[in-house]
Amino acid sequence: MRIASWTVRGAAALVAVVLMLSLGVLVARGAGEPVKNPDTFVELQFGDVTSLDPDLAYDIYSAEPIWPNVYETLIIYSGSSIDKFSPMLATEVPSLENGLISKDGLTYTFPIRQGVQFHDGSTMTTDDVVYSFRRFLLQDQAGGPAWLLLSPLLGVDSTRDAQGKIQVTWDQVQKAVYAQGNTVVFHLKKPFAPFLTIMAAWGGVMPRKWAAAHNDWDGGATTWQKFNNPKNEDRYQFNHMDGTGPFMLQQWDPQTKEVILVRNTHYWRKPAALARVIIRSVSELATRRLQLQQGDADLIVASLNEQSQLRNLPNTVMQTKLPQIAVQTLQFNFKIDTDGNPDAGSGKLDGQGIPPDFFADIHVRRGFAYAFDYTQNLNSAYAGQGILPHGPIVQGLLGYDPSIPTYATSRDKAIAEFKEAMGGKAWDTGFKFTIPYTAGNAARQVGAEIVRDDVQALNPKFQIAFRPVPASTLNSLLFSHKGTMYFLGWFADYPDPHDFAQPFLASAGYFPVRGGYHSADADRLIDQAVSVTDPAQRKALYKQVSMIAYNDLPYLFLVQPTTYFTMRSWVHGWYYNPIFPGQYFYTLYKQ
Amino acid sequence: MSAVRTTSPPLVAPGAAPAPRVQQTTWQRTVRRFRQNPLSMLGLCIVVFFGVVALLAPLLAHPTERNPYMIPHEGYSSDPHPPGPGHPFGTTEEQFDLYYGAVWGTRSALLVALTVVAIGIGVSLVLGSLSGYYGGWMDELVMRVTDIFLAFPGLILAVVIVAVLGQSVRNAMIAIAAVQWPTYTRLLRAEFLRVRDMEFVQAARALGDRDLVIIGRHVIPNTIYPILILASLDMGQIVITFAALSFLGLGAPPGYADWGQLINLSHNWILGTAGDPFQFWYTLAVPGTAIFLFVLGWNLLGDAFRDIFDPRQQGSR
Amino acid sequence: MSTFIARRLLLLPFVAVGVTLLIFSLTQLLTPAMRASLYITDPKQLNALPDIIRKYHLDQPVYVQYWEWLRQVLHGDLGWSETAREPVAIAIAGYFPATFELALYSFACILTLGIWLGTLSAVRKDQLVDHISRFTSISGASLPTFVWGLLLLMIFYGHFGWFPPGRLGLQADLFVRSSRFHPYTGLMTVDTLLNGQWWLFWDALRHLVLPVATLTYFLTAVLVRITRSSMLETLRADYVRTAEAKGLNQSVVIDKHARRNALIPVITLAGLLFVGLLSGVVITETVFNWPGIGRWGVAASQQLDIPAVTGFALAFAGMLVLGNLCADVLYAVVDPRIRLK
Repeated sequence: MRIASWTVRGAAALVAVVLMLSLGVLVARGAGEPVKNPDTFVELQFGDVTSLDPDLAYDIYSAEPIWPNVYETLIIYSGSSIDKFSPMLATEVPSLENGLISKDGLTYTFPIRQGVQFHDGSTMTTDDVVYSFRRFLLQDQAGGPAWLLLSPLLGVDSTRDAQGKIQVTWDQVQKAVYAQGNTVVFHLKKPFAPFLTIMAAWGGVMPRKWAAAHNDWDGGATTWQKFNNPKNEDRYQFNHMDGTGPFMLQQWDPQTKEVILVRNTHYWRKPAALARVIIRSVSELATRRLQLQQGDADLIVASLNEQSQLRNLPNTVMQTKLPQIAVQTLQFNFKIDTDGNPDAGSGKLDGQGIPPDFFADIHVRRGFAYAFDYTQNLNSAYAGQGILPHGPIVQGLLGYDPSIPTYATSRDKAIAEFKEAMGGKAWDTGFKFTIPYTAGNAARQVGAEIVRDDVQALNPKFQIAFRPVPASTLNSLLFSHKGTMYFLGWFADYPDPHDFAQPFLASAGYFPVRGGYHSADADRLIDQAVSVTDPAQRKALYKQVSMIAYNDLPYLFLVQPTTYFTMRSWVHGWYYNPIFPGQYFYTLYKQ
Repeated sequence: MSAVRTTSPPLVAPGAAPAPRVQQTTWQRTVRRFRQNPLSMLGLCIVVFFGVVALLAPLLAHPTERNPYMIPHEGYSSDPHPPGPGHPFGTTEEQFDLYYGAVWGTRSALLVALTVVAIGIGVSLVLGSLSGYYGGWMDELVMRVTDIFLAFPGLILAVVIVAVLGQSVRNAMIAIAAVQWPTYTRLLRAEFLRVRDMEFVQAARALGDRDLVIIGRHVIPNTIYPILILASLDMGQIVITFAALSFLGLGAPPGYADWGQLINLSHNWILGTAGDPFQFWYTLAVPGTAIFLFVLGWNLLGDAFRDIFDPRQQGSR
Repeated sequence: MSTFIARRLLLLPFVAVGVTLLIFSLTQLLTPAMRASLYITDPKQLNALPDIIRKYHLDQPVYVQYWEWLRQVLHGDLGWSETAREPVAIAIAGYFPATFELALYSFACILTLGIWLGTLSAVRKDQLVDHISRFTSISGASLPTFVWGLLLLMIFYGHFGWFPPGRLGLQADLFVRSSRFHPYTGLMTVDTLLNGQWWLFWDALRHLVLPVATLTYFLTAVLVRITRSSMLETLRADYVRTAEAKGLNQSVVIDKHARRNALIPVITLAGLLFVGLLSGVVITETVFNWPGIGRWGVAASQQLDIPAVTGFALAFAGMLVLGNLCADVLYAVVDPRIRLK
């Protein structure tokens, strides 16, 4: 064929080149399954780092490189335990017995380890520790984690009031965290039982001089306000890290979505076995899976509904049924803003909508609680990977009590409750509303379907729809109180029952502020339970709190999910602690 | 579509009524041409087949949900199941029935594609005629506005529109139409420019006919064919773009009977499991075949139209 | 000619303002809370929204925000992209070459393959070759790119291990990040050669094969059809028939006479195709984990990252005007009739 002979030649040349390339590749690969890249560990997940600043980052993808791989805390959880601690940058874990916790529970003293080097070569002093914690408190970015320590130490949730004016003084901060010889002392406002659990997970230590040399606060009394509430990009620590951990940051490339860590050879303990760690974000499951199969990745993270595809891949191990200190809930909005809110339909109890106080009626809530098929939800939406919770205090926490009653699915009870709902009118007029759920979240979509199917089956006048919305829309709806029912999950900031009781049931907690639930009894009990140190006493108090959650039913507690990781069989030294945001690479090695 | 045109359609005696005679011979010519070319017949058959399926959808796949476009599903188990009793084409993840999805997907595909094309034609008729017929500053303005829309990568503009308006089938259609209309307008404008200067139009003007009448009776019938060709070729493209939006989570909601959404649901199952990479072949094959045939049919039809209505080929053979 | 170019360039600010105004006015439909959501990752941070709205001035009227943005741009600052975690300008400068490299190679393959197949189809109209080429190219365009991408990835990476996803292999990636490597253009295949690292070049090329193949397969159909129909028209033109009647060899006729004229509409299409490529590249980049502007653009749009979206609206507007200009110059080169105007 003479036609387009030059293109034929060109194509032939291209094919030849490609064949040559692939041949070269084949030759280079060799046979068998030896460990690929034995001193480099590649983890593939699917989230993005927001910031590498330990005082500003508040999501697990950012936290994974930060803690405990690059920055370290004063104490840390022992192995896989969530209630026993080991010393880390401190030399002793404070307790009542060794006197490092004062009798009144207001003062915690941490003796600081000597001779620890930062990644820049300087030696860690108590000055650096004090600076790091004061920075954690005072930088206080909107939406950041500072409140975790602001609350026990200064008694406020933010350094700024509702109008944005600073409401803490230097004097207060100085008295809350200060150095005393070779120790650092923390002074609390009120006794706070979970203090050590927070200290074991938050507050990475960085060198003050390094921070000050890079346009950050110098630790001074008068200068800190300028550095309050920064934007992520304002801080050098956004993409530069200088800590004490077993790994140092080589580079964070937001375009290829990779964080590259290298071994810290001057680590204060034995240096890590791995020379290099790469954490990369790959949104496509198939690509992640194929890379694991080819050995180009050593460990991958995937969602629960993808687990069936990752089972039994050759040369891999799946660590499954890993407990999480987390709970998935379905929440009611007690006071819906029906103005311009299509999800609430007509805004009236006329069969074409719901009135603003629809879910404020306990019978309505009970109706949903009895109608919902929890087992079906667990098995379908979460692939059976989890347990059914008994209230807000989940398994693994102090105060978890399997004897707390739950609402077992019962069609008859549901019908009975709905017949009493809204003064008996709801059954005759019916209702109609839409559930907004996070788009792309398969588990929540299935949950919404189950709600719709189970409740619509009771009475043809009950009409429930659901629509997927992007996160920004859902946030906006929740913010303006326009949500009707919505699925929200809660993952522990620290493994203490207070971190669950407060956000769910205290009037100032996250979820009651959104949904409008309020209970003076719960407030009282929660305040009490957090200031008492005796575990038995706390258990009893949290049992009462859980009973309030059962009786008042502001939420349906759906699932306490487990998680899993899939890794190559040449990975050793791996262990799991539910409070770790990601992997702890220090103990890992490939063989 | 070619920009190089140097001949005009057959001349018509001034004063005569050209429209009915032209259409009659065109119709005869159309039928003859179709019968001659097996590929054109194939394209026509495919399109007619889809049309029939769409019309008969409620009979072929009885709807059980309140919204017939939502695919029924038994249970919520997340793994797809192969074809078997009750599910002739199998089910995709979360047990959505593929047969139902394929049948009602025909309706939604035709609905979406025809709506977008209709919007495109509607907008371009107005803007293109204003621009092409009157010229001058109006032409400049319309051209610059189309420049602005064309300056943006289509998919991203569609994503922004849906992100802002909210995810729904209606908004996805608006988004795709917003991306497509400039192409139609440009084409129609070029055709208007071409026809405007032709003798029979000038004759009509000389006779004193009103602008609107001229446009309606003389200009549009002679310019509509290239639009039809573009539209028929676009039908498949629109369904693909809609599928791309579903991939990004911005098209139809999951469980909606739409081929693109079904392909999107097959997304995670294309690799199968460890032992059997083609274990879930049906999740891709069913909607994939449907889309392929749809695109093929409209492509063949569009080519057939072009073969017939291309003035260069009218005179020969 | 120079006045022609100057007039076209004058278009640029008009189109730029038009495009950015279009995007910004779409955002008028968003509440401040929605736009503030860009800065949080979890509903537990919702309490911080008023603080965030205050911090980023999101409650000001949209025209004020647009004016602020415009002022910033005129001072050379495109702002910060929250989704890219980088300044917008740096993000565009980083992502664009990656996509451009993909697009360039795909473009070359599409043109070659498309023109070849289209010509073949036209010359052998209605024969088997014609049918096969049309069917194959249509099948490529009838399924979303991720289908082909995943199938190719499964076979050529999952099974054979020849062509991995991503842009570079592990060792290559580390080398490129080190100080021993100097980036010049941002195009891996070019930079690696300029650095004299042959093994890096092969690595980069190896990673390009599958995404380019996916994109090519997807977009060749369009070009095949256009070339075919354009070629068909040209072949029936009088001057071609004359040449044939004179006894000229058919391939010479096509090479010398027909192709040039047939290419005119192809050039028109090439421009539209390039923009279409940038759309189609989004899914390909996601499947192959390619750090490109398509993937980022979609993420930014979905998360309502206004500075990012308006920033690259600006960049694309500029690119398109320049691209159109190139196309027009090409027209003048190919078609002497235009030159004489």
